[in-house]
Amino acid sequence: MVMATKAYDKSFREEVYKNVDSGEDVKLCMQCGVCGITCPLRDKMTHGPRQIWSLIRAGKRDEVMDSPDIMLCTSCYTCKVRCPRGVKVIDIMHGLAHYALEQGIVPRAETAKFGKVFWDSIYKTGRVDETEVPMRYTLTAGPIHGLFNTLEMMDIGRALLSHKRMKFKLGPGIPPSKKIKGIKGLKKMLDKAQAMSPGKEG
Amino acid sequence: MTYLLYPGCSLEAGGSHYEVSVEAVFKALQVELKEIEDWNCCGASIHYVGGTELQTKTLNARNLALAQKQGGYDIIAPCSSCYIQMVKTAHEFDEEPELAAELNQILGEGGLSYSGGIKVRHVLDVLYNDVGLERIKAAVKKPLTGLKVAPYYGCQTTRPYGEYDSVEEPTSMDEILAALGAEVIPFEHKVKCCGSGIFFTEMDTCAPLVGDIIGEAAAGGAALISVPCPMCQMNLEIYQPRLEKILKTELDMPVVFVTQLMALAFGMDPNKDAALNRNIVSANEVLRHLAA
Repeated sequence: MVMATKAYDKSFREEVYKNVDSGEDVKLCMQCGVCGITCPLRDKMTHGPRQIWSLIRAGKRDEVMDSPDIMLCTSCYTCKVRCPRGVKVIDIMHGLAHYALEQGIVPRAETAKFGKVFWDSIYKTGRVDETEVPMRYTLTAGPIHGLFNTLEMMDIGRALLSHKRMKFKLGPGIPPSKKIKGIKGLKKMLDKAQAMSPGKEG
Repeated sequence: MTYLLYPGCSLEAGGSHYEVSVEAVFKALQVELKEIEDWNCCGASIHYVGGTELQTKTLNARNLALAQKQGGYDIIAPCSSCYIQMVKTAHEFDEEPELAAELNQILGEGGLSYSGGIKVRHVLDVLYNDVGLERIKAAVKKPLTGLKVAPYYGCQTTRPYGEYDSVEEPTSMDEILAALGAEVIPFEHKVKCCGSGIFFTEMDTCAPLVGDIIGEAAAGGAALISVPCPMCQMNLEIYQPRLEKILKTELDMPVVFVTQLMALAFGMDPNKDAALNRNIVSANEVLRHLAA
């Protein structure tokens, strides 16, 4: 008699344990559901963290990597402080999002664009210029949409500028953002850290 | 009392009124702040898009190494996002020798090293535990009598280690506000998240979070919301006209830093020291009677 059961595909969970930041923490989860229920955006999530861990263990690669939930974390740490097993819930969610993005899967387009501009600013200058980053982000929509987005954000920009909470800029890079003195060293460190990160050869 | 100040990127821009008031208040309380020289960004809550965890820890380890070089005093990180990133790296460095070795190998690429042990503190932590309520009370010249305040801590301020206050029900800011003479309203949303680092790009999704926070404060009769985090201040304040459209409700709630209220209660200049002119939703109306 043939058994009507299918073996779990272990390859995806092994991939997560090896390549995703804090991925091995998924093993600690006992599926109590505290993380999902305490999430401020639980109503907006299809799966939530508990179900994501379950899908990882079940080998459901596509469901996990395509889930927009893995980029909906606000980093509030409520799940982290309430998890009875001390799972690094946020680090895994961020790790999964990073892993998906590296493979060209974009769970949430706008946050991905903004995050990229944000990180590029850190890598190039060591800091984040709060005037420059939103400017560059609005332009990721292309020149026409970018212009509309800029006009839409104009009221907020003007209010911040007139209340001395934003520096004046004619455009992205004009005048250029200041770099920290140790930018060369910082870049070397970030490159080294990337080479040493999970899933990287180095 | 000397501390190293880690301003973070937002105190140079969107949270400039926090920096002005923090410096004024600490000076009045005779606490010396020295800025960490050549500090870099902490990675904030959105770091993961471009960087790995180890790269983000590298950013924070570099700041810790610079602080150690500069005297090794405790670090004050006023922004909750900076605080959480730095306190996390500091903890993990001290508790995980393997990670510590990795980070030192990385820091070596830029000619730096870190041996651990530096404490990262939040503004509320230092005010409450080091300065203390008695010294704060003694500095009050114009008590905030009759001012109803909703104390909003935000999500990251007391987490994830609960080093200086409860992660679920903190009271440090409540007690500081009471010491200033204000009336602190019971506030269930005090540690509920405002949307944090993804608020700007997911505004429709996160709008109800801010709507609920401001809604409870208004329902409780609060004249304003007091915050200790520049990201909360920004999310709760500057988008109010846009949020009113998304949520189809009126908001109009001033959101000020606890240090702005302290500067005011200490009898300091409302603009030069408390930087109240930098608030977009003006608090002048509700604070007018205090200026007399």
